[in-house]
Amino acid sequence: MIFVGELSELPPGESVRVQGEVAIAVFNADGELFAIDDTCTHQDASLSDGWLEDCAVECPLHAACFDLRTGRPSGPPAKEPVRTHQVVVQDGAIYVRESAPVGSAALGAEAAVGEAVR
Amino acid sequence: MTTGEIAAFDQGEDLPESLKGTLPGHYYTDPGIFRAEQAAIFETQWFCAVLAADLDKAGRFETVQVGRESVLVARGRDGAVNAYLNVCRHRGARLCTEESGEVRRAFQCPYHAWTYSLDGKLISAPNLTSMPDVDRARFGLHRVHVREWLGYVWVCLADEPPSFEDTVIGDVTNRLGTPDAIVGYQVADLKLGRRIEYDVKANWKQIVENFMECYHCATIHPELTEVLPEFADGLAAQYFVGHGAEFGQDVEGFTVDGSAGLERIPGVNEEQDRRYYAITVRPTVFINLVPDHVIFHRMFPLAPDRTLVRCDWLYLPEVVDSGADIERSVELFHRVNQQDFDACERCQLAMDSRSYKDGGVLVPSEHHIGEFHDWVREYIG
Repeated sequence: MIFVGELSELPPGESVRVQGEVAIAVFNADGELFAIDDTCTHQDASLSDGWLEDCAVECPLHAACFDLRTGRPSGPPAKEPVRTHQVVVQDGAIYVRESAPVGSAALGAEAAVGEAVR
Repeated sequence: MTTGEIAAFDQGEDLPESLKGTLPGHYYTDPGIFRAEQAAIFETQWFCAVLAADLDKAGRFETVQVGRESVLVARGRDGAVNAYLNVCRHRGARLCTEESGEVRRAFQCPYHAWTYSLDGKLISAPNLTSMPDVDRARFGLHRVHVREWLGYVWVCLADEPPSFEDTVIGDVTNRLGTPDAIVGYQVADLKLGRRIEYDVKANWKQIVENFMECYHCATIHPELTEVLPEFADGLAAQYFVGHGAEFGQDVEGFTVDGSAGLERIPGVNEEQDRRYYAITVRPTVFINLVPDHVIFHRMFPLAPDRTLVRCDWLYLPEVVDSGADIERSVELFHRVNQQDFDACERCQLAMDSRSYKDGGVLVPSEHHIGEFHDWVREYIG
């Protein structure tokens, strides 16, 4: 698992980028934690720099929106989903369990990846 | 056949005492002089840019021309107004091309999508994460100094701005005699009732000089002179310190036909009532104070022979909100503006004439314009 940081350091509405096999963005969406690949599938931009609204993040460059629960884009310009990753909270610390790389496993498996911390 | 050189009318040396020389004609047309004014005046002084209330929420912006620069003035998430050079730090594309508008979250360059937060920081760019050595604060938008006064946003492009108190407020004090005299007009609390823009084909100095004198009033401003009969004597309110021109005896208000105006601004005192005060705040602002409203001119010099003037008529908020009829009060100074700017354009036509090579003359009621000429010369050398 990848250590992200203390839960207290990621208040609601905030995001952080950590390095796994690839960069991963971790969001606190109003108390619920989500992790997705950080790089927009449309153009190389950091989604952790994007705008969090409800359970979606909007890419700061071209406004592609990704659902944090499924990684799916809501519409153009992005066409491909980002991977989602499991978030684990242990003793007040946030960890991410990185999903299998694209192509090696069931991408888009509809696992619930949100970790409620409320 | 020769055209026959007519010797320029030389008036510099031996003018009669009643007359003072003006600036030579080329000061109003020469691109080199205009450039010097842009660099040494508009880009160094406090410059009135935007009516703060026009930026009524986060993300609202205006772009204004200040000297050679386009300046982006925008309200941030914290409610404060910021100003930046309107230039993308990547390859220099103009960031915002509209004169005004609203962004939802950020300013984004339409060229390569470099994206800046409302507080100017670079927040995103394609491939930015693979350039971890790029400091996002360092490559944020270049900030310019901001000050709010009288409900307007003033910007200064100088690294070290001059004292706002000594320059802007100083000009008001020099005219009214005391910095307190404008306080009662509660200008920052007034609300925009009307705005009219004038695209004037004249040098900005023509417009300043015209505003400073009233020798022309009886000739070109019949309506204004009806309301302010002393203007027929040719002495502008700006000829004196602390003097407001008094309304005519049978004049009820500062309106096109002298009919009653609107509710008096509560802070206006008895001495100021039924009087008109005019202030030139160098380089580009005129403030006109009457008991029930304030007329605020902002100039934006765009070329040696072109100046955009934005004129705001400001009233008590309850007057504007009630839908009261402001037409007759707007119409008075709208006519004055048109009459003045027509005159400025007429002068501009002759500035390259041989007849005006060494300039013209100022009569005694205009002699104080010489101080403005000295001020300009002092800055541009």
